[in-house]
Amino acid sequence: MEPSALGNVASLAYSLPEIVLGAAVVLLFLLDLVVTRKETLGDVALVTLALVVVLSARLLWGDSAALYNGAVVVDGFALFFKLLLALAAFATVWMSLGSREIQKNGTGEYWAVLLASTLGLLFMASSTNLLMAYLALEFVSLTSYVLSGFMRHSRRASEASLKYLIYGGVASGTMIYGMSWVYGLAGSLDFRAIHTALMSGQGAALPLYVALLLTLAGLGYKVAAFPFHMWAPDVYQGAPIPVTAFLAVGSKAAGFALMIRFFFTAMAQSVGAGVYQLVGGVDWSQLILVLSMVTMTFGNLAAVAQQGNVKRLLAYSSIAHAGYMLMGFAVLNDDGLRAMLFYLTVYYLMNLGAFVVVMLVANSTGREDLAGYRGLAWRGGALPAVAMAIFLFSLTGLPPLAGFVGKFYLFAAVVEKQLYLLAVVGVLNSVVSLVYYARIVRTMFLEQPTGGEGVVAVDWHNGLLLGLLTIGTLVLGVAWGPLIDFAGRSTHFLAY
Amino acid sequence: MNPYIALLISFALCAIVAGIMCGASWLLGPKVENKAKSEIFETGNPPLGSIRGIRFPVKFYLTAILFVVFDIEVVFMYPWAVVFRRLGWMGLGEMAVFVAVLAVGLAYVWRVGALEWD
Amino acid sequence: MNVPVENYLVLAALIFAIGCAGVLTRRNFIVILMSVELMLNAVNLTFVALSRQLVSMDGQMIVFFVMTVAAAEVAVGLAIFLAIYSQRRTVNADEISLLRW
Repeated sequence: MEPSALGNVASLAYSLPEIVLGAAVVLLFLLDLVVTRKETLGDVALVTLALVVVLSARLLWGDSAALYNGAVVVDGFALFFKLLLALAAFATVWMSLGSREIQKNGTGEYWAVLLASTLGLLFMASSTNLLMAYLALEFVSLTSYVLSGFMRHSRRASEASLKYLIYGGVASGTMIYGMSWVYGLAGSLDFRAIHTALMSGQGAALPLYVALLLTLAGLGYKVAAFPFHMWAPDVYQGAPIPVTAFLAVGSKAAGFALMIRFFFTAMAQSVGAGVYQLVGGVDWSQLILVLSMVTMTFGNLAAVAQQGNVKRLLAYSSIAHAGYMLMGFAVLNDDGLRAMLFYLTVYYLMNLGAFVVVMLVANSTGREDLAGYRGLAWRGGALPAVAMAIFLFSLTGLPPLAGFVGKFYLFAAVVEKQLYLLAVVGVLNSVVSLVYYARIVRTMFLEQPTGGEGVVAVDWHNGLLLGLLTIGTLVLGVAWGPLIDFAGRSTHFLAY
Repeated sequence: MNPYIALLISFALCAIVAGIMCGASWLLGPKVENKAKSEIFETGNPPLGSIRGIRFPVKFYLTAILFVVFDIEVVFMYPWAVVFRRLGWMGLGEMAVFVAVLAVGLAYVWRVGALEWD
Repeated sequence: MNVPVENYLVLAALIFAIGCAGVLTRRNFIVILMSVELMLNAVNLTFVALSRQLVSMDGQMIVFFVMTVAAAEVAVGLAIFLAIYSQRRTVNADEISLLRW
């Protein structure tokens, strides 16, 4: 199946979500100049994102097409991620509207920058060209720096933003250097043309391997995989909580989307029945396999050692989860990718939910440290405490929650490919992760409040979001069929 | 024989001679450290405070940032101008959208007061 | 005189390595940011040299974008420096260490 590339004007009809989002960014900047009540801008952003979700979903019934002379593509795979990313942004805006941190620093440009970042994420999910991929990734990075340093008078936030900028600059610089090598070796920036060139035996294996390693730096940085994870704990801790949630869910998902698209369409060849073969003599699946094991082990061990800040702990947990998801990447078939896509969706629900609870506690008490959760269930926060327990056990991968189903599919794909070592390391890691997740649950339920922690109140706005995410985590734990089918269908678009 | 080889040899000789001279004086010369010698030379006066004490007004930075951001966008207009006629009305429209977005940015910057010097 | 493409690539690799070394060893954040710019310039050189070698315009086109992105990065970077500097009167990497475990 060879979708012919459409020209600029013909492409517009397929990029309605992006156009709406881009127009909204411009509109929000202008509105910021005239509107005095800044929450209005948040409402506008919320409505825009709802519209983007609907418009993206509508495209699911249309045909696949290569747009803008082959720079981006609209197909089932891109749309799966667009839906996920738009929903992540929607939840982030919802969270931001109920966040004390954002309200205190209330300026209008926050909403515009958040939507701009979402626009970059959508392009990351759909780019089929190295230039477009680089631009989208940088766009997301630049807006993320601004978002994480948004609390201008907080020393912590500025420092986080600075570290993010330095790591990000180096990582993306390394990535584009790797891309320049790929361009030199394959003679094109287009994923499909690179694939064709590699299939015809063009490009020596060793330089190509180096180029891939360099390129992996930028992608690994976006998904926070070892050894490009260093920014994550600092930035997660320093940024406002909704922004942290956005980075943990949105950035990571888009990073995986781009990574899958690049490696599976440019660096691999489909041999039918959903199985892929390496091209160009570069065994990147072995590399990813090692990366996956190291990432999850590092993330979990660091999280076990982490006693203080809960946001920082969730940062290490998110590194570990990047490791789990890379397992599906290493097996080189549609089953693995399907498991990855499914896990990303589940991860969206449970991780975002955990951050909503963190925000509720911080809203009421201003605390983010583990001691601030002491006896949470017994001082007004019974609902968030129960929800948090559900999210954390789901993150661990305990049945009957969604996280268990996600992990089950990942491990099934790995075992089927007979990568037993990877499976064993993965299971051991899940056991280790129980240590620190259970520690939070124990602090919330089994320890009595000493009285100094303050009462945690739940307003309907945040409560509704928390409820929806909890229901999602519970429902996907028992009725995962439709989503896994949808994820499976979405992976078929990569092969050609 | 490459005609530039003489130049290369000359460069190499320079480096070697200079290296020997610096290296020998470093190896053979006496080294006496004292407080007065390690101080920064400021025309005979004792140095005042740390070098980091030098202050720049912040508004220079702000203006510089804004200049860099708007200045670099011209880079896209050069290739556009080269093929302007071939692109026709379509190209003009696309560039108009680009400039309009920039104009919104400028209006925003203006309105929030980043262009005020005082 | 026709300079072969390898020379450009080696030069670019050297510049890239110098930039990397600068990021790793320097302590002043402004100098670190300059080193990152150096890395991006090495990338630009590689792209332009390869673009000539391959007789394709793609490489030259991407350089425009890399330049713009570099400028945007500097702008955001300087803005963050200003925020940090007004808070603590320093842009030294060793002194900015609030976030540790």
